[in-house]
Amino acid sequence: MITAIAWKNVWRNKTRSLTVIAAVTVGVFAGVFSMAAINSSILQRIDAAVNEELSHIQVNNKDFRSSADIQNIINDYPEVVSVFESTPGVTDVTGRLIVRGIASTATKSAGVEITGIDVEKEKKMFTISEKLIPGTGSYFEAETKFNTVFIGEKLAKELNIIRYIFTPGSIDFLREEGVPSTVIEKLETLQGERFTSDKKLVKAYEKLLAPSEVEKYQWKIKEAAWSYREGSKLILSFLDINNNQTGAAFRISGIFRTNNDMFEEICLFVPIEELRQLTGMKEGTYHRAIARLEDNDITNSVTREIRQKLTDYEVLNWKEIQPDLAMISDFIGQIYAVFMVIILAALAFGIVNTMLMAVLERTRELGMLMAVGMNRRKIFIMIMLESIFLSIVGGFAGMAVSEIVIAITGKTGINLMKYSEGMEAIGYSAHLFPTIDAQFFITTTILIVLTGIISSIYPARKALKLNPVEAIRTE
Amino acid sequence: MKVIEIKDLHKIYNSTEVKVHAVNGVTLDFQEAEFAAIVGPSGSGKTTLLNLLGGLDLPTSGQILIDSVDLSKLKPSALIDFRMKNIGFVFQSYNLIPVLTAKENVEFIMSLQKWTKQNRNERTYELLKAVGLSDRENSRPAKMSGGQQQRVAVARALASRPKFILADEPTANLDTKSAESLLDIMVKLNREEEMTFIFSTHDVRVMKRARRVITLEDGKVVSDETREK
Repeated sequence: MITAIAWKNVWRNKTRSLTVIAAVTVGVFAGVFSMAAINSSILQRIDAAVNEELSHIQVNNKDFRSSADIQNIINDYPEVVSVFESTPGVTDVTGRLIVRGIASTATKSAGVEITGIDVEKEKKMFTISEKLIPGTGSYFEAETKFNTVFIGEKLAKELNIIRYIFTPGSIDFLREEGVPSTVIEKLETLQGERFTSDKKLVKAYEKLLAPSEVEKYQWKIKEAAWSYREGSKLILSFLDINNNQTGAAFRISGIFRTNNDMFEEICLFVPIEELRQLTGMKEGTYHRAIARLEDNDITNSVTREIRQKLTDYEVLNWKEIQPDLAMISDFIGQIYAVFMVIILAALAFGIVNTMLMAVLERTRELGMLMAVGMNRRKIFIMIMLESIFLSIVGGFAGMAVSEIVIAITGKTGINLMKYSEGMEAIGYSAHLFPTIDAQFFITTTILIVLTGIISSIYPARKALKLNPVEAIRTE
Repeated sequence: MKVIEIKDLHKIYNSTEVKVHAVNGVTLDFQEAEFAAIVGPSGSGKTTLLNLLGGLDLPTSGQILIDSVDLSKLKPSALIDFRMKNIGFVFQSYNLIPVLTAKENVEFIMSLQKWTKQNRNERTYELLKAVGLSDRENSRPAKMSGGQQQRVAVARALASRPKFILADEPTANLDTKSAESLLDIMVKLNREEEMTFIFSTHDVRVMKRARRVITLEDGKVVSDETREK
């Protein structure tokens, strides 16, 4: 009966209760959804770091990272592989040759890190092959007598390998993408023009378009004018094992696009045999051994185990190589906590306010209930149940809305292209796929109920302090 | 048989400046199945006496014994429980729970006392029939007239078969027809259920129906008249 009365009391003043419920719903949704968006951004970054750039654990010669001297090889690579293979949790191991050098084209040059890889093995261990930009070739699949290289889009732009050309096809593309004819008409004057850099293109269309049009269509314009001639070449220069200058022309096998500009700009991949031949490194020598684990959660424990076995080498996991990322990853719990505190504080204030008003309005009724024999414990429970019902209804509605929106945006993604330049410069994707784990929902539910209980204490105590004789006389 | 014994009851309110002797040495007995009205001018101490009888307020001195149980000796929690089991209240402003139907309002006290559903249903049906509202059992207070609400309040007060009913100005907010109808019902229930009714009232209609009229002035009993009806 008490539960039934409490539930009915919630709906006594529908407008007020619905307002509180709506506020709680919006608050919970805002908190959970923001958390899901932040979470996805961090998880996507970690996923990219592990699956595209670093893998879980790397082993180097102790001096390699500080000097990157070509001589600083892993002295006993078979031993390292054997240690990895005998350690539970390790699924794959591969070796890399890494040299620093210069990549040049006819017009530009840039400092790069040339990584010689076992193409087949790395295709299994990393997802970089899936980041190939369509129309730019393949991940070392073309049969060719030339040396081949797989480079990032940023480097390709830097070396003027990717250019922007306004062709009739570009105009057709813009039309298909729904760009208004007024904008297309202005851009038609650029037909036939070539732009060697992103900046030059931007400068050109900014002269023609209004700022609002630039803001709205800049990504489509860049995409329309994006131009790359398949099979382009670049020259890679570096030192060989005898510290002599060497190098060769490399045909671009394909161009990859990630969310990390720095990685795209610096790292390029070549088949290990080609690099071995050019550097004169012996068969079976490697600068780095890389291991992949079956689960990211065992990274720390496996690293400790490997480190104990390979004391002559530098053993690092991805968290140690990119401590900023590890910090953010570890920090996610604290971000959760901050969001939860904000959500729950708003919820608590809303409920305390509503319940205090409810107690004030029902003073006479509460007095009557005390007079006819409803004891303090039952009155306390009744007020508490009302608060809990309010918070549960609002909380669950908020979580249901969050779940639906996260499910939808988790598939469609949230496009923050407007901020992509800044986000990708620090390695974060501008296309977020919000996600949150079930544990967060369960914890949030428990915390909402607890907040409902805690928020009810003050109004319930107010109710208990009523003197039935005075309360009954209240108008 | 005595249901209530009041012995030399005093209630003094100490405000900051003035001391008010609201009940001043009242000694009274109430027998089973009495139909008594406590009358007197405003400020004579009627409501205070009723509050003391109902255990809603504590006397400054004196004793109230209900079935030989001294109310002032009961702990607060025991007093609440005692009130629930032994005393029925009817208030001037009806004080029904607005979110409950007539039936649920009557059932409420029985539910607090953990009566079985079947017993609750039977008693509720019996009482709503007795107050002439069996056809309004599913109506909420807002949909009923003042008279009907007060009849539900009477049914609620009787629900758990208390030892007596305290009614504070029960007809004050009712028109003549509703008041007469309510009094008819209370007289009938007083006879049929042998229930003791004690009213505080200004209402002449109540005084006329009462078999005992106690007059208070300045907190003292100035007359105690029993009539045969």
